[in-house]
Amino acid sequence: MSDPRKGPEAESQTHFGYQSVPESQKAYKVAEVFHSVAAKYDVMNDLMSAGIHRLWKRFTIELSGVRRGNRVLDIAGGTGDLTKQFARLVGPTGEVVLADINDSMLRVGRDRLLDEGVASNVRFVQADAEKLPFPDNHFDCITIAFGLRNVTHKDQALASMLRVLKPGGRLLVLEFSKPTNPLVSKAYDAYSFGFLPLMGKLVAGDAESYRYLAESIRMHPDQQTLKAMMEETGFARVTFHNMTGGVVALHRGIKP
Amino acid sequence: MALVTQALLAALERGLNPLLALDPVALPRLAGLTGRVIAVQTRQPALRLYVLPAGDGLHFAAHHEGDIDCTLSAPATRLAELALARDKQRVLHQPDVRLEGDSTLLIELADILQKLELDWQHEVSRWLGPLPAALLGDLARRGQALGEQSRDSLQLTLSNWLNEESRQLVGRLEGEARFAEIDALRLDVDRLDARLARLGTARNTRDNPDE
Repeated sequence: MSDPRKGPEAESQTHFGYQSVPESQKAYKVAEVFHSVAAKYDVMNDLMSAGIHRLWKRFTIELSGVRRGNRVLDIAGGTGDLTKQFARLVGPTGEVVLADINDSMLRVGRDRLLDEGVASNVRFVQADAEKLPFPDNHFDCITIAFGLRNVTHKDQALASMLRVLKPGGRLLVLEFSKPTNPLVSKAYDAYSFGFLPLMGKLVAGDAESYRYLAESIRMHPDQQTLKAMMEETGFARVTFHNMTGGVVALHRGIKP
Repeated sequence: MALVTQALLAALERGLNPLLALDPVALPRLAGLTGRVIAVQTRQPALRLYVLPAGDGLHFAAHHEGDIDCTLSAPATRLAELALARDKQRVLHQPDVRLEGDSTLLIELADILQKLELDWQHEVSRWLGPLPAALLGDLARRGQALGEQSRDSLQLTLSNWLNEESRQLVGRLEGEARFAEIDALRLDVDRLDARLARLGTARNTRDNPDE
């Protein structure tokens, strides 16, 4: 509990894109961004990545090792791309939980999956990744795709995921990362800070949210740092795969 | 490289699954195979692919860490033949095709693909409406019937001309009669050969009674 007598300047600060904000404010600000973009989220993802985000997610599914009867948690599952595929893989005897802290995103995801007939083995939960409302040793696999960078306390979120994973279970973190090639990095910067906000303004009517997206990606830990964070949390056999020249990386760790 | 593979597999799914959806029974039958995994591998080039049937079509993966129900190994050319052949069972029984695990799964999948009857008219009616779709379908069926009739007629005429007019080829009945005569002659020669051998043995026995 923060002391109400103290002003916001006394509270620990964290980053929100390139801005520094009180920790208690970040979640609200992130929520505002996602409330704003929820309706156009899928369209924007396709436009921004030229559809490549679908390939990144396919690769994540393949490395998940999810099989029939498994219990899977898709954190920050948004519009349910991964959940839909997991629901197919776990079959009627398994279960997939689509969790998102943002109710607008969760509603879009739930409506979309129900419209596509994916319902019998999927549950929808509004949950904070830092305080997952599930028992210990509960899931065979956890994924968080393009969500970890929006979490205020990444270490707490990773610890929470470790707690709810079964021993031997896997965590997969799909997230923007640092391009490995300097040329790709320069082109990517130009694209992120020039083209993305413009497209956000034209398509979703919101340039700021997409500026935040570009800034939050730069503030997110790079491949090696995130790997070290996962190992420090207690994950074993942590590996990562760079995709599209390191623009995106998939980290995988096992609960010992 | 991983993303290129994923792109190819995604393109394969996007191309194949809408076709499967045109058959009214293929998807329900595939739904019955949900959760089963078929590994397909070629030796030259060394490739491995996983096929995961589901209610919305076939899914392909380059990597799978779960249990595999059936493994199909064959040369790449044989797999291409399997994909294109109408009689897939025949290809599956070739000596260079190896099946491991639950082969009934693969045979079931081959049967689903073999019995595909794509309902194009239904798909056209979604875009153009039922009446134009029915008219187009009728036109296409008549065209197909006319095409088949013309092909049969041409085949018959050509066969008649080659057999009867130009005498380039021997007619079927005439050929069968010749083959029957050759078979009879071969049998007669075999019998004669056996008789000569028997006579030779009898003469040897008579000339050398001590042996």
